[in-house]
Amino acid sequence: MNVQITEVTRRFGRTQAVAGVSLETGPGVFGLLGPNGAGKTTLLRMMATVVPPSSGSMRLLGRDPGSYASRKEIRRRLGYLPQNLGYYPGFTVAEFVEYFALLKEMPAGQVPRAVAAAVERVDLGGKARAKLRTLSGGMLRRAGIAQAIVNDPELLLLDEPTAGLDPEQRMVFRGLLRDLGQRSTVVVSTHLVEDVGAACSQVAVMNEGQVVFHGTPADLTARGEGTGAAGDAPLERGYSSVLAAARSSLAARS
Amino acid sequence: MTAARLLRIELRRNAMPWILPLIAALFWFDSYRPSTTQSAFWVLRTFWNMGQGHTIIDFGPFVAGVAAWMGSRDGRRGMGDLVAGTPRSRWAAQLATWGATAIWAAAAYLAFVGVMFAVYARQGLAGSPPWWWVAVGATAVTAFSAAGFAGGVFFPSRFAAALAAFGGFLAMVLSSQTGFGHTSGWALILPTNSNGNFQPDSGILYPYLPDLPIARIIFFAGLAVAAVAVLGLPARAGGPWLRRAAAVVALAGAAAAGTAVWLAGTARLGPHGLVIPALHDAASDQLTPYTPVCRPDTGVPVCLSPAYRRYLPELATALRPVLAEVAGLRGAPSSVAQTAATYSPGEVALGQGMTISGRPPVLGVPLGALNLPGAFGSTTAELTGQLQLLAVHVIAGAGSGAGTPAQQAVQAALLAGAGTPFAAQPGALTNYGLPSWAQADLGALTEGHQSRRGPGAVAGPVFAAAQRLAALPAAARHDWLAVHLPALRAGHLSLAQLP
Amino acid sequence: MTAAGVHRASSGAAPVRTRALPARGVTRMAWLYLISRRIPAALGLLIGVAAVLWASLYWRWNIVGGAAAQAVIPLTLEAAAAAVIAVTTYGPFGETERATGRWLPYLRLSMAVVLTAAAVGALAAAAAGGQLPGGTLAMLRNVAGLTGTGLLTSVAFGGAFGWAGPLAYLLITEGALAGTWTTPWMWPTRPPHDLGGALCAALVFAAGAAASTVRGSRDHAVRLTRSRVHRS
Repeated sequence: MNVQITEVTRRFGRTQAVAGVSLETGPGVFGLLGPNGAGKTTLLRMMATVVPPSSGSMRLLGRDPGSYASRKEIRRRLGYLPQNLGYYPGFTVAEFVEYFALLKEMPAGQVPRAVAAAVERVDLGGKARAKLRTLSGGMLRRAGIAQAIVNDPELLLLDEPTAGLDPEQRMVFRGLLRDLGQRSTVVVSTHLVEDVGAACSQVAVMNEGQVVFHGTPADLTARGEGTGAAGDAPLERGYSSVLAAARSSLAARS
Repeated sequence: MTAARLLRIELRRNAMPWILPLIAALFWFDSYRPSTTQSAFWVLRTFWNMGQGHTIIDFGPFVAGVAAWMGSRDGRRGMGDLVAGTPRSRWAAQLATWGATAIWAAAAYLAFVGVMFAVYARQGLAGSPPWWWVAVGATAVTAFSAAGFAGGVFFPSRFAAALAAFGGFLAMVLSSQTGFGHTSGWALILPTNSNGNFQPDSGILYPYLPDLPIARIIFFAGLAVAAVAVLGLPARAGGPWLRRAAAVVALAGAAAAGTAVWLAGTARLGPHGLVIPALHDAASDQLTPYTPVCRPDTGVPVCLSPAYRRYLPELATALRPVLAEVAGLRGAPSSVAQTAATYSPGEVALGQGMTISGRPPVLGVPLGALNLPGAFGSTTAELTGQLQLLAVHVIAGAGSGAGTPAQQAVQAALLAGAGTPFAAQPGALTNYGLPSWAQADLGALTEGHQSRRGPGAVAGPVFAAAQRLAALPAAARHDWLAVHLPALRAGHLSLAQLP
Repeated sequence: MTAAGVHRASSGAAPVRTRALPARGVTRMAWLYLISRRIPAALGLLIGVAAVLWASLYWRWNIVGGAAAQAVIPLTLEAAAAAVIAVTTYGPFGETERATGRWLPYLRLSMAVVLTAAAVGALAAAAAGGQLPGGTLAMLRNVAGLTGTGLLTSVAFGGAFGWAGPLAYLLITEGALAGTWTTPWMWPTRPPHDLGGALCAALVFAAGAAASTVRGSRDHAVRLTRSRVHRS
């Protein structure tokens, strides 16, 4: 198991962003669904070792990120694409990816090839020397994906990776996810249910900081059958059904 | 190699080059242009821009502002999470960014100063460049970049650059006033304090003393190290050992800066400039050997350092009438040679005069300490007056004081004979830093005090004696001096013994 | 999410076009604009600059060298205030903001004028009772002219580097004060009641305000399309 999370919580002031999440996953593509404010991004940030959990335990790639040395080792083998991708507008695509390759302590001799491969993989080879400020939103997102995969990570965390991508690029990206998931653990946080259905072998649904569903996409689809839940596709109906159940359960408790 | 690659990226994408054209224009305007009014000596042309730190003023605030902009980059661009999620310590990444910024700033500074020095060299300046001060400037610019960068990291606001730039400028302005006029005390560490460290003959007859520049380099290097090390203290900067190391380095930098301030406080004014005992190398006290250039056709040979050769005619012309008065007399100078301008401890202004020493007697002229034409607005006439006054002062044996009344009278008479009327002499004495006469005699010479019988009315006894001596024919005056000059110089002559 | 509470026009009716914002809307819009430009922080900084001016006058941070040299420290602080104003022109929204209605130029102009007035007011208050070289009139002239240089710099090079203009002008002025220049374009070197200096400073302020109003500060989004864009 590359990811083992046990009763992890995270509080920001009075806000309980993550309220006791337990997850385990190994190689493959793991989808994280949920409405805005469900805690997906915070969970991903904890897995990226950017913020520590308020309580609970985590083991990532067999290590406890609580110690600095372990955290460093995890980060060497980690790829992370945040929801709000910051970037230096003056860098070119290649420089941006190279910068993070170097920060990830990749051997310097391997960096140029790895950068070229990552840029090609996200179909930005023709824009490698273009400044980031000249790129469209979708291209910027792809540049962000490139920096996340440049070190061939064992744990890849992607927060809204397909935001801004056109339909063709989303299909290509799903193929990339499936390919990456054969060797690594890929956790994808997204609003787009169809991306989860197309690429993920497992999916969790979060609501109000908790995981309210964990299973396969087929299981999620089954949850929506016969319930009359909203949605244009079976997976969407399953998602809506799970959320509705979670909300009514919450309402009943409160 | 990783560090080199990181640095290469940062060098290529740094914002510092964009501000360099503006700095270049200001550098020309504020550092080079004002220097062109000075005489063609390295020490004079670089007094304003290197000695008083104007190259640092032109660079430092802009460097601080742009460095603050670079330091705030991660905060402004929302890169915090992305960078924090990498194994390489944030401090290491920041060092690469700062390093590139500092390299651009220091390299530009050295390039601009290099171009300016190349122009000076083409202009054929005499003496040698103040290389130590170039190193001070480069270190100061690096310190500005470090301080600005640290400010930007901790306060990643849109206002960081403006505050860093103007804070740096205000600091330089205030430093120019702190300890102004002092030649001792901690304020000497400030880069705009030029007292006692840009001596007139520095780089010509003796080397620039490196003591104070070394202390300033230590100071600025310490500040730069401390500012950059402080970036390694926050929890996000790296692991515990790295942060401990950063704390140690920060303390070391602060200690270095503090030590430099203490060293500056121990400085004392030596003959060739400020000496810091702990840093002083006795070899730098040695005079720079040279082959003098002479003008032998004046009767009394006049010899100067080759750096001053352009002043030979003026020197010879100015001294000719004075030396003619005492030509051939016992104790009178048989030749004129240049001596190095030196400071005497306890003096702030350069109040030294000429000397007569050796066998045969040689008139020593500290030409570098005098008002050379073109230096700070002086004219040839002023130099002539100063040379004649100092010459008669030493010929009369007055030494470093006003002299005896008899010496004052002879001095005044000889000056009048050389072309400085009595009425102009009290002002000249004051201008050239020599003690003036007794008040009663002064009153006779100031405007409005002349009697109704016209100029030259007798007032004090010194003035009266001077008038009588000056009224004698030159030959008679020469004969009198032939008999009485030794006693006059020894201070054994009274006013009553003057003709 | 439901459509409850959403007002719909009756079918067939022409859409209502609101031509004027109510006063409350204008105020709210102006407030949000000020927040986006960090004006509260800028006002705090202006007060800080004024406090430093007060300290310099109270403790007599003088510069040796006569009357002209005495003006350097107050002038530095006036330029700092102008730099703060210039930096506030930087907008975080880029094209999104420019592709809106007609209010943006008015907001830009109002902000420039109000901030300049605030800077003058703060500095005047700090100098009250002290011996500000040239007095309040000279300070008003200097701040206005320096702000103009900052606004012009922002338009040309971006709000983030708007501080460079006032700083460069300050350095040149320092040299002019030492060299006893008399050109009215170096208005800090002119007497407080000098008409030429005041006119030049006013012209520069007007030019900067006009440029900032019409074009706004340069931002990198302009380069995205590599074509002429409407910046107002």
